[in-house]
Amino acid sequence: MNENRRQILEMLSAGQVNADEAERLISAVEKDPPPSNGSASSPKAKAKYLRVVVESEEDGRDHGPVKVNVRVPMQLLRAGVKLAGLIPAQARDQVNAAMREHGMAFDLSQIRPENLEELVEQLNDLSVDVDVDDADKAKSKVKVKVFCE
Amino acid sequence: MIPLLAVVHVRNKRGPGLHLWVPLFLLWLLLAPAILLLSPLILVACLAGRVDPLRALSIVWQVCAGLTNTYIEVSHPGVSVLIRVV
Repeated sequence: MNENRRQILEMLSAGQVNADEAERLISAVEKDPPPSNGSASSPKAKAKYLRVVVESEEDGRDHGPVKVNVRVPMQLLRAGVKLAGLIPAQARDQVNAAMREHGMAFDLSQIRPENLEELVEQLNDLSVDVDVDDADKAKSKVKVKVFCE
Repeated sequence: MIPLLAVVHVRNKRGPGLHLWVPLFLLWLLLAPAILLLSPLILVACLAGRVDPLRALSIVWQVCAGLTNTYIEVSHPGVSVLIRVV
């Protein structure tokens, strides 16, 4: 939660403002965010690469950490999305049906380069922590980071 | 620009490592006449699939060009593999 919003909510809880005023203040703060120092105020540069970093911390005996570092050019992803558009309609239906069978109700024809741009915009820094607990292996933690640069 | 070189680096603690430079430009040179020979078939396939052949060609070219600067590294204390396309 950002600092301004927290202050407004504190004012609301202290009874200094009523709910309507607090709502107006929050919407004003959201509409006009304060300029922060440095690069955040400047328009964000277009992402060139999609990075996937996987780091595992194994507790096991002579095993060490496993690291995966993948850098995929965005140009390749964009071309891949365009390539999906070349799939003939019959084949596309078959792919959609197969994906639906596996629990992914997804329409390939809906994938467009614009969607990819939207996805990338949202994908500022995604980090997923996965706990792996195998019966024959020591307990380990895996951190998966997906981000653009 | 399509990639001209791929570097494959395999490092193994127990055995000798492997450092390969794959000249992709030679692959493109070999593929070019093959594609030229197969172009009538590709054209027929595109028309059968109701795909604009020029658009298909352009997208395939973009995919090839997009491979440039791809970097994949998987490392384990025992083995590590690095693939770099330049």
